Amino acid sequence: MHELEDNSAGAISIFIGNVRNQGRSGNVSEIYYEAYIKMAEEKMNEIENEAQTKWAIKKLVAIHRIGNISVGETSIMIGVSSEHRKDAFEACKYVIDNVKTRVPIWKKEISDENQKWVDGILLG
Amino acid sequence: MSSDIPNNDKIKVRLFAILRERVGESEITITVPTGTTVSLLHDEILKKYPLLKSFNNKFVISVNCKVTTGNIIITSRDEIALLPPVSGG
Repeated sequence: MHELEDNSAGAISIFIGNVRNQGRSGNVSEIYYEAYIKMAEEKMNEIENEAQTKWAIKKLVAIHRIGNISVGETSIMIGVSSEHRKDAFEACKYVIDNVKTRVPIWKKEISDENQKWVDGILLG
Repeated sequence: MSSDIPNNDKIKVRLFAILRERVGESEITITVPTGTTVSLLHDEILKKYPLLKSFNNKFVISVNCKVTTGNIIITSRDEIALLPPVSGG
């Protein structure tokens, strides 16, 4: 949280994405996340820079975990601080929406019965 | 004397997620004539790994971390990857 603090920021918006027990393939006990790390970091930076351009942001932090993550654990956290709440809310939504569609990260849903890669969005 | 024989490039291609699992390798090497394009590399990949035909139109190719198509010329110095549909978050 201290990374988002700024004495001129009156608002901090945080999005936390957790692994849930139901997925597209049914029951889920954990998710395996894989990334093309070099490209993912470039894309995350690109999205963060776009948000900085579109909204009056003081601080922005975006973290995506990879590897095996159990139900209830956090896979992604986006935090934005701004002078007023509107910029923080909107920028936070922009970053999470774009991370989900533009960053080379893949998830495989794992249960006791099976494992299935989630069919997502083709990069363009 | 060898001027009529085309030189070849060995292109390393990284695979991710379902493509990596199906092929059983995180990196494959494809031999192509020097000066080849992304679309020719794509054809050679499917020739060498026919099982990837079932994923045709279900992956894109990145060159140096940029998704690209068609006529871009690639060399063995480029970083190439096959990227299935993404599902982060």
